[in-house]
Amino acid sequence: MSDALYVFYILPYVAFAIFVVGTIYRVINWARSAVPLKIPTTAGQQPTFKFIKRTWLDKIDSPSNKWWAFVRMLFEVFLFRSLFRNTRYYIEKGGKNVDARWLWLFAVLFHYSLLIIVLRHLRFFTNPVPNFVKTIEYLDGVLGVAIVPPLLMTGVIALIALAFLWGRRILLAKERCISLPSDHLILFFMAVILVSGLLMRYIVKIDLTYVKMFALSIVKFTPPSPEVLANLHPLFLVHFTFVCITIAYIPFSKVMHFAGIWFSPTRNMPNDNRMRRHVNPWDPNPEVPILAREGITVAGVTYKSKKLDWETYYEMYKDQLDEIAEKNYTLKAEEF
Amino acid sequence: MSEVPEELKIKQKFPNWYDWIEPIKQEDIKPGFASYIALPKQVNSEFFKMPFGDVERDVFSEDWKLPENWKEILLDAFKETLEKNRAFKVFMDICVRCGACADKCHYYIGTGDPKNMPVMRAETIRTVYRYYFTKAGRIFGKWAGARPLDENVIKEWYYYLFQCSLCRRCSLFCPYGIDTAEVAWWGRRMLSRIGLNQRFMCISIEASSRTGNHLGLYAGGMAGSIEQGLSELKDITGFELHTYINKPGADVLFVAPSADYFATPHWYVMLGYLLLFNELEERYGITVTWSTYASEGGNFGTFHSYEAAQLLNSKIYKEAERLGVKFIIGGECGHMWRDKHQFINTMNNLPKNPEWKKFWDDPDLGQLSDKLKGINLGEFISGEHGWIHVLELVAALIRHKKIDIDPSRNDHWVATYHDPCNVARGMGMLEEPRYVLRNVMNKFYDMPEHCIREKTYCCGAGGGILAEELMELRMRGVMPRMMALRYVVKKFGVNIMLTPCAIDKAQFPVAVEYWKIPVEIGGPMEMVGNALVLTSFGEKPEDRKYDLRGTPIRGEE
Ligand code: SF4
Ligand code: SF4
Repeated sequence: MSDALYVFYILPYVAFAIFVVGTIYRVINWARSAVPLKIPTTAGQQPTFKFIKRTWLDKIDSPSNKWWAFVRMLFEVFLFRSLFRNTRYYIEKGGKNVDARWLWLFAVLFHYSLLIIVLRHLRFFTNPVPNFVKTIEYLDGVLGVAIVPPLLMTGVIALIALAFLWGRRILLAKERCISLPSDHLILFFMAVILVSGLLMRYIVKIDLTYVKMFALSIVKFTPPSPEVLANLHPLFLVHFTFVCITIAYIPFSKVMHFAGIWFSPTRNMPNDNRMRRHVNPWDPNPEVPILAREGITVAGVTYKSKKLDWETYYEMYKDQLDEIAEKNYTLKAEEF
Repeated sequence: MSEVPEELKIKQKFPNWYDWIEPIKQEDIKPGFASYIALPKQVNSEFFKMPFGDVERDVFSEDWKLPENWKEILLDAFKETLEKNRAFKVFMDICVRCGACADKCHYYIGTGDPKNMPVMRAETIRTVYRYYFTKAGRIFGKWAGARPLDENVIKEWYYYLFQCSLCRRCSLFCPYGIDTAEVAWWGRRMLSRIGLNQRFMCISIEASSRTGNHLGLYAGGMAGSIEQGLSELKDITGFELHTYINKPGADVLFVAPSADYFATPHWYVMLGYLLLFNELEERYGITVTWSTYASEGGNFGTFHSYEAAQLLNSKIYKEAERLGVKFIIGGECGHMWRDKHQFINTMNNLPKNPEWKKFWDDPDLGQLSDKLKGINLGEFISGEHGWIHVLELVAALIRHKKIDIDPSRNDHWVATYHDPCNVARGMGMLEEPRYVLRNVMNKFYDMPEHCIREKTYCCGAGGGILAEELMELRMRGVMPRMMALRYVVKKFGVNIMLTPCAIDKAQFPVAVEYWKIPVEIGGPMEMVGNALVLTSFGEKPEDRKYDLRGTPIRGEE
């Protein structure tokens, strides 16, 4: 029996390996696709003559070079800039656009709580616990000191935000409609993890010494003793298993958006098309348009369009063009 | 024109994933929303040849006559797209279906059709992506949100990818910058590989690839039209004006959307250009030439595919080089500026003539005339591109007091400004037109904040949706813009909406009639033309009695 428990020791390595390999694979896969055009979504005043004012937001939303485009990415990734524009359209209110930045708020709360929670968990994997982890935990708990163990805000906030984000997928018609099973699945994983974690801390109050020994054995690559394994609380095993499943699931899921956003051409490219030419890697020397050069080949047949260069054009409409030349290329009001 | 009912009902429907993952059926494809499929004369033409374009197809018949091995071809095209376009690939992978984009699309707002939510429009393709290109999709099928290709899936693609105006409003709100327009654009490209092209845009693409412009105007017709404009200007101003066309050795090439040569209210904008160029020549000796070969600023190829876009915009730099110009001015048009700002210098090699090179060494207009010294295009443009928007130029001319303006000539107009999607989100020209308008007229008011500047609502007819058969979709899609317009009409008494976009100028006159809003439609250059005092011809501010529409300027006295 106790031997079988070693599955839990193997599990995180497998999960982590899948995560790392999968993520790298996905990222390389994206990076290998070409970027044919420079297509930023310009969300502010473009770079222009100096007398036209550009606010700092314009500079971020309509970046004039790579540096500003990078700032835009930071705003997008860490502050959810685009979501901060969110509105909701109410047809029943005569087509009013109502501020809907609660979505932004809950998304921010959810993601940042998760981040802090993950950081806090470092205390299980380190010995001695680094100071910054202690500080985070302290700050996280300032509001909840009256409860023992101190109520950590982030856990609660994450749970509320999660309930909220899931709630909208269930209760709001539009969101329910667009949700796929996989959207619910990942929320389900998160819910199990959060609830089991909170239960362990506040309700069941399991003994953490073995958990810590187990965690340390993972980072130290030394299998734990059967005693440690045998003393792990079932609730912990549920928590732990779901964390591993989630980590392994990430590369196959939409959670990859954390990496994908960096590759999003509408956000990561500067609005400097008129300053710097972008070269299309699969059409680097477009002297003649593709359709007239190699055409389109489909199922072995090539479809080529005739090129309308000036000479062809001139031959086709010679009379009219000569007439224009005779007028010395000048047009005047018609005489009646 | 398809009949649009007097009253539009917006029925919102919210099927769950299990239902919507099933593609639509032929009977779900409705007139008023479905684009006609291109005919052989458009896509099997000598100058624009698309695969399997030799078959006539009917969007309302059960049989779409797809080529025999269409599935293979489409999957090949899919694979190619994933390799050729990182944006497309990333957008297949990272959507979290958060819904932030859902109600940002004017077509969703106007139709209530769930598959018109940007996220769902893209999902019609993503579901197929998951089936063929991800393991999970292959193993779990429907439960992983994946579905195999069949003819109905193709019909669904065609139906919904051509209900998108490529406005990119969704991409503004998406936390990952997912641009459903990009997905739709490259999705259309895939469809074009199995013989499905949209008729409306292909009529213009074919015409432009054969004659140089979307309208299929021949050189003589275009010249005649401009001459007609000069005659009208003679009546209005009393001066003998002129302009150049195809002129070798001119300083600047001017390129406008071809609608400006004929359509109304585009026409008044055209008159505005002519006035400006005459003043510039008389005063500073700058020669601006039109071209019959590069006679199209717009580019319906940008609604179709990279290759089609390139086929059409390849003429312009070539013409600049042939004529030996120094730089290019672009006229008022929306998608044209997506093309001319973001695409053209990637899709083509730059002009190699010495004049071009020399000018761009230090692109100060002082090179053309000492008196213009100080207006330096190098502040944001380089010789690797070489285009300036006519409104940017006018803004600089006004700022440096190089042209004389009498805003009171526009006092009979109370204006608002509609940002064309592509000019706003594909270029970022937000402040220049407003700067110009505040200077050339006294009464200018913006619409509410949530629907202007980068958040602007589409006119509902871009991206190839201007087709007559899509009238109901167009009138629904324009609704959010019309609501905002109605608001400023009531509040400030706005009587004209100005927009530097040829498609807007075609769509809005129909739309305001349908939505019963008493406003005119025009372009900023029309107002510039009204206010521009032809000082170098000896004109005084009070001399002009009529505006470019022939209406008396200072009311009846
Ligand atoms: S906003 Fe972006 S991530 Fe959210 S549903 Fe739309 S496309 Fe997907
Ligand atoms: S690009 Fe515009 S029309 Fe197309 S899905 Fe996005 S918001 Fe809708």
